[in-house]
Amino acid sequence: MEFLGALPQVMFSGIAAGAVYALLALAMVIIYRTTEVLNFAQGDMAMMTTYVALAMIVGSGLPLYAAVPLALAFAAGLGAFAEFACLRRAKEPSVLGLIIITLGIEMIVFGFASWKWGGEPRDMPIPLSPYDGITAGGVIMSYLELITIAVAALTIGALFLFLNRSKAGLAMRATQQNRAVARLMGIRVRRVEMFAWALAAVVGGIAGLLVGPATTVEPYMMWEPMMKGFAAAVLGGMTSLPGAALGGAIIGIVENLFGYYVSTAFKSVVPFAAILLMLTVKPSGLLARHYVKKV
Amino acid sequence: MLKKLGNIAALAASLWLPLSASAAELTGVTDTEIHIAQWGPQTGPAAPWGSVARGTGMLFQMINDAGGIHGRKIVYHMFDDQYNPAKTVAGVKELVEKEPGIFAIASGVGTSPGLAVKDYLMERGIPWVGPAAGSLHWITPPQKALFAVYPLYADEAKLLVRHLVEKEGKKKIAIFYASDEYGENGHRGAVAELQRLGLTPAIEVSVNQADRDLKSHLLKLKESGADAVLMWVNPTHAVITLKTAAALQFSPQWATSSTLSDVPLMQTITGGLWKNIIFASFSELPDADVPTVTKYRAAFPKYAQQGERWGVFFMAGIGFVEPMVEGLRRAGRNLTRESFIAAMESIRDYKGVMGAISYGPGQRQGQRAVFLARTDDTGTKVTQLTPWTEVK
Repeated sequence: MEFLGALPQVMFSGIAAGAVYALLALAMVIIYRTTEVLNFAQGDMAMMTTYVALAMIVGSGLPLYAAVPLALAFAAGLGAFAEFACLRRAKEPSVLGLIIITLGIEMIVFGFASWKWGGEPRDMPIPLSPYDGITAGGVIMSYLELITIAVAALTIGALFLFLNRSKAGLAMRATQQNRAVARLMGIRVRRVEMFAWALAAVVGGIAGLLVGPATTVEPYMMWEPMMKGFAAAVLGGMTSLPGAALGGAIIGIVENLFGYYVSTAFKSVVPFAAILLMLTVKPSGLLARHYVKKV
Repeated sequence: MLKKLGNIAALAASLWLPLSASAAELTGVTDTEIHIAQWGPQTGPAAPWGSVARGTGMLFQMINDAGGIHGRKIVYHMFDDQYNPAKTVAGVKELVEKEPGIFAIASGVGTSPGLAVKDYLMERGIPWVGPAAGSLHWITPPQKALFAVYPLYADEAKLLVRHLVEKEGKKKIAIFYASDEYGENGHRGAVAELQRLGLTPAIEVSVNQADRDLKSHLLKLKESGADAVLMWVNPTHAVITLKTAAALQFSPQWATSSTLSDVPLMQTITGGLWKNIIFASFSELPDADVPTVTKYRAAFPKYAQQGERWGVFFMAGIGFVEPMVEGLRRAGRNLTRESFIAAMESIRDYKGVMGAISYGPGQRQGQRAVFLARTDDTGTKVTQLTPWTEVK
């Protein structure tokens, strides 16, 4: 009984962790849907956004409600700049070449953050104690976890509506499916790609701002969440928004179940085992339809 | 034909020359300089321990400003290995195999980074003094050129367990440890002491270096019903541990190793959660009013870089290397690795900022004593709980 008694608590903890993975997966999917590029700088761009928020809160004394929108505006600028200054400059780029460029961006962002703020972990002050929370049905839910889940759910819902119901979302999908035809249809594909990078950086930045207060702010803070976000994106399907959200939740829950009931030492292996399994059984992911380009 | 032979000879010579250069012994000592190296994580998960290497830098600078040692200045080569053993190996090899070589290695943070270069250094007879990790690997078996300072993690863990059981009345002690050599050393010591006391751990939970979501770990600790948890993890994991425990309304007596004894740092990065924590200390407290500490604390503003903080790890960077400086002094002007090792073996009850340090033929663990301390309800004041104690 005691063995299963902890199950709801483990499930809730998994969902809270999965909410962050889902946001990072969504950020990757947004760029992939538009440009077919895997952005390995996504995590460190989120780290940078978190540092900017921290600098505004601690350094400039801005309140949290002012620092967060400004940091997300910075994230949008960073994403747009990365696309404009790095990706767009590639001559006759292959997808692999562009992915390598994202790794370069990751190293630059990481190096800059390490130089600017040093390697020591920092506390992200929020007007909320880690002790604050509610207990329902024997499950302890901290306010920070509840906020994380709520923010992730709202972001996912808003993104889903925006990308599936708006013209901009349609333009992004058209750009991914056939860049030349999209351009002929009057879509300014360069701007669409830049917008996708900015949007993804904002979504990733939200993840960073949720991770920071629960852990520490430091240059490598997003490496692990980022890899799990990537695993979630592969699991759900690299082109599917609901798939990314579902993938994040599954990774969060499964790794927590594994950690609690099997082994904490090998818990972090679970997401990568999930990638291998998914690539073997259903390479397109749980919810994505396999898209075949006509030649 | 002759031209061809000449080319072959030239090629052979060009291949032979670098070999002969690398084969020649690079001692790292000149008439005016002694070259000493240290690695240390300036970035990455163990960055809070990076101040060890910077503290050593201050000690060497003070010595050089006072005229050096027997007419030689110390040239200090410090590099950032990010607590990554692969980078430790690359950095050490580059320094050792490049003119003029390295005379000795001073300190160096981390059990895993140190283990990665231990055999390389010992095979070449390069002295290594004061690894900044309390691992049994440095002294089992004792190495001729390796002089440990840092008390053993296993001894710290034993003393903490003994205190928790005998003085705090704890009966269910859980062990939460990093799944690396550092964590394993503390884990083994704690289990051994619990067994000696006729107890078994409430639960043993390990954490992978890469993990940042520790909810399942903390749930297991909480479900075990532990009234005290021995925490043998890195600073980032300690922060996440306390925050996650708070969220789960789990509040045992936390006890931890000297690696987390930088109280102001831990109090800051945990957002004020570093309260009522019992920890082991390998050195005098940084604000102690003892002459061995006050002379460095007074010199700190002059020598430290802007933004540096006088904390326990910065001070430990001095303490781990003080015996090396003593050895260099005792070795005299005719400095060789052999004379240095003989001089190190003559050190008895040396007292600097660490506990008393002694070496001898076959004795390579310099310090065995630690003391325990506790942070108060505000997490700002530290009270010493025990005197310097050697675990028998």
